[in-house]
Amino acid sequence: MSNIKSVSVQQSLTAGWDLVTQALLSSDAPVALSEETVSEALALLCSQGLGPYVEGWLLETLQMRLTSTVAPEFWARLKQPQEGLQERERAKTLLEAFRNLLLQLEPFLGALERLGTWQDDGVGGLCGPGAHGLRERAFSVIRAILLFSPPPVLQERVLEFYSRTFSVHMNQAGELGDSEEAVSGSEGSDCPGCTAPPQLCWCLEALEQLQELSHILSRLQLLERVSSEAVTSILHWLIEQRMEQRCRGEYETSFLSDFQEWLEQVLSWLSQVFASEVGDTDNSAMSQEGASGEVGQPASAILQRWRCHMHQFFCHIYVNMRIEELFSIIRDFPESTPAIKDLKFCLERTNQRQQLLTSLKSAFETRLLHPGVHTSDIITVYISAIKALRELDPSMVILQVACEPIRKYLRTREDTVRQIVGSLTGDSEGCSDLATELSRADPVTLETQDSEEEGSDPEEWTPDPTDALTDNTGSKRRSSDIISLLVSIYGSKEIFIDEYRTVLADRLLHQLNYNTAREIRNVELLKLRFGESHMHYCEVMLKDVADSRRINTNIREEESRLSEEEQPPLALSVMILSSEFWPPLKEEKLELPEVVSKAMEAYTRRYEKLKAMRTLSWKPHLGSVTLDVELGDRTLTNITVSPIHAAIILHFQEKATWTLEELSGVVGVPQEMVRRKLALWQQQGVVREEAGGRYTVLETASARERGDRAVMLIDSDEEGDSNTTTQSEQREEKLQLFWAYIQAMLTNLETMTLERIHSMLRLFVATGPVVTEMDVSELQAFLQKKVRDHQLIVSSGVYRLPKTNH
Amino acid sequence: MASQNMDPAAASSTAALKGSETGGSVPKGSVSKRLQQELMTLMMSGDKGISAFPESDNLFKWIGTIDGAPGTVYEGLRYKLSLEFPSGYPYNAPRVKFITPCFHPNVDENGFICLDILKDKWSALYDVRSILLSIQSLLGEPNNESPLNSAAAELWEDQEAFKVHLHATYKN
Repeated sequence: MSNIKSVSVQQSLTAGWDLVTQALLSSDAPVALSEETVSEALALLCSQGLGPYVEGWLLETLQMRLTSTVAPEFWARLKQPQEGLQERERAKTLLEAFRNLLLQLEPFLGALERLGTWQDDGVGGLCGPGAHGLRERAFSVIRAILLFSPPPVLQERVLEFYSRTFSVHMNQAGELGDSEEAVSGSEGSDCPGCTAPPQLCWCLEALEQLQELSHILSRLQLLERVSSEAVTSILHWLIEQRMEQRCRGEYETSFLSDFQEWLEQVLSWLSQVFASEVGDTDNSAMSQEGASGEVGQPASAILQRWRCHMHQFFCHIYVNMRIEELFSIIRDFPESTPAIKDLKFCLERTNQRQQLLTSLKSAFETRLLHPGVHTSDIITVYISAIKALRELDPSMVILQVACEPIRKYLRTREDTVRQIVGSLTGDSEGCSDLATELSRADPVTLETQDSEEEGSDPEEWTPDPTDALTDNTGSKRRSSDIISLLVSIYGSKEIFIDEYRTVLADRLLHQLNYNTAREIRNVELLKLRFGESHMHYCEVMLKDVADSRRINTNIREEESRLSEEEQPPLALSVMILSSEFWPPLKEEKLELPEVVSKAMEAYTRRYEKLKAMRTLSWKPHLGSVTLDVELGDRTLTNITVSPIHAAIILHFQEKATWTLEELSGVVGVPQEMVRRKLALWQQQGVVREEAGGRYTVLETASARERGDRAVMLIDSDEEGDSNTTTQSEQREEKLQLFWAYIQAMLTNLETMTLERIHSMLRLFVATGPVVTEMDVSELQAFLQKKVRDHQLIVSSGVYRLPKTNH
Repeated sequence: MASQNMDPAAASSTAALKGSETGGSVPKGSVSKRLQQELMTLMMSGDKGISAFPESDNLFKWIGTIDGAPGTVYEGLRYKLSLEFPSGYPYNAPRVKFITPCFHPNVDENGFICLDILKDKWSALYDVRSILLSIQSLLGEPNNESPLNSAAAELWEDQEAFKVHLHATYKN
């Protein structure tokens, strides 16, 4: 009995299983088999505990089919037509392969849906993960098997296809795909979208194919997997290419909004790529209401994500490009302001500050900081950098870090100070920026800048960027004021004021016309910057000029009241300098002819009468002389020359021929110098050099030899005469003074350490108007030099003088 | 000469503050300034054989060095001196003595020097440089009228013997 019963149960079970599997897999089963029979069979299976296996069997079958036939067939189709195919055909094969794939899998997908529905409805007591859960599993099986290790051909094809549809899309959107398509399009009458001749244009076809492919992919939930990589690289490449074409080297327009627009167009293409996924959630009959939200993300969310991606791409690529070009951008500032603003916008969105710093620093080093660049150019770029970088990074950190090498380098250039001072006062050609900067910043704005810093709202405090230099100067010291930045290159403003004093002295002594309006203005402006006390010396200098003019007029008046024969033979205009306040003047010996020295003496006497207890000490080599030269047949009038020139030619009045030796004797100047100075008169055709170093006046013009002149032009060049001693000469003097102190202290105190010497110097070296602070390392270097010269002995950190000095 | 030894500042302040105890105080700053100036002068003068420098950061105590002048028995010998400046300097003379023992008619065994410009002939016009130069020349031309070291004064007549004794006793 039981045997028979079990046999019949087994039979009915087999029948039930067959029925169910048939209902699941055969496409037309639902029509043939009524709902009831299926649910009865299911109930039977479930009652025997076989319910869960239905699901397992279905997935297993799917997996088997995939591995054995579907996947290999798919790859075979994709690869099958190897070469010699047109792009258009390749696109077709791609689509075919996917079509076929869908066709093969469709029955399973249907079966899964059905089983899922049964599970959801609990037909015949069947339970399980439900339609949604089943689908998830099935798709992960498909993805796993199909795309486990996809050959590159898939990506290639997809990439090619998407690129094509993209250009077609952009073409139709009215925006010419401005890359190779545009170029080839202009050659013939080829369609700019698909580059095919018009009669063969397959633009529309491509778009349809795109739609279908997207649909298939989203149906198989492969869209993200297959296409996102391709889309990413296409976008990346396109943005890069577009940027390369539009923006490189172009700093004067902003590209942000332009790119924004363009990105929107690209997005509309993207929306086509991902469109079917969107449609899927909306109208697919198979998708369940409850699950739809999770199956495909809403269109807007996907697009939003892509929008973010693209933005990020854009910013990143833009920053990359601009970082490369930053040096040129800075050089072109302020014309390049739009580029700086764009860069600022993008830099805030990417994490590339460090990259920017490194690249800019090395750009400075390779393009700017080498001996071939003129100091004034370096300063000009530095000023531009200050302006541009404070625009780019209001925290000034980039400015501070990136420009450190420039500042360091400028410190090693000897003419830096002179250049800066020169441009501050608007003397040097080139950078007049500083002069405007100086006059722009009135003390009011300077003060408000300070108070702003002091009284700023603590709520608005922002921490320093992480790349800030970790010195303890704090953000307050990061000034963006161009002049203070430049002045701080050397750490002290004294050097600048000193240099300015020298420059001022040069100017005053060169023009000799008592006209100081411009200098007064400059000094006033500098006073606002550096404070009254620092500019005191300069003020005295200017006052000297004004006083000199007054005294001159005074003495002239006095002279004019004299009788005819008492009138001085030549009119002297004197510049009276207060020696304490002027920078040290070059000492040069010059014996003036008696006429002149007599006049000077007379002037001194009158001055002494005017200013009791004071006298004049003349600098005969400074100044200028205006004279007429009367020769036998001609007169040169109103020649303005230096005193030494005048002194030399004056001697020719007594005697027509002089040797160098004689001249050098009466003028009190080395022969070489006399020879150089004579060049001017030779050039003027007044004097001619004869054999044996003899010079003779040419009384008649006909005797002149034209040939002489061209040759003489060369050495007549006045060497860029500065009346004041140069910075380095002054420094040498100062070091000499230091050395005297050091010798004295070592003579008396025998042995001393470096630190002790340093502190002694600081304590006791009387500070004149000109102080150069010497830091310990500088002093050490100086002492080392002395040790090398055997003027000093050092052992275990203690210095002393060598015994032989006794 | 005497009038130059009056500190005008001190004089006027005593007059103004008659009876008050702060009367004689001298502004220290001006003394420092003067000493600093003297140091500078000394450094710039480049005199051979004399030198001086503040001993520490105290500008009122200096160490001086004098080399015996060539052609005298003291040639080749180097003497250290200490110079202490009173707060009334330069109206009061500095205290100067030898640190290196010096065998000399006008120097006693403690290094004290008998030199008129350091005593009653002092003038505010003198400075460190002139003091050192005076002492240097005193070495070669002692004043044997009023010797502090009578043995040295007696021996001075015999320069050779003096030199032998001097070099035998010289300790640096």
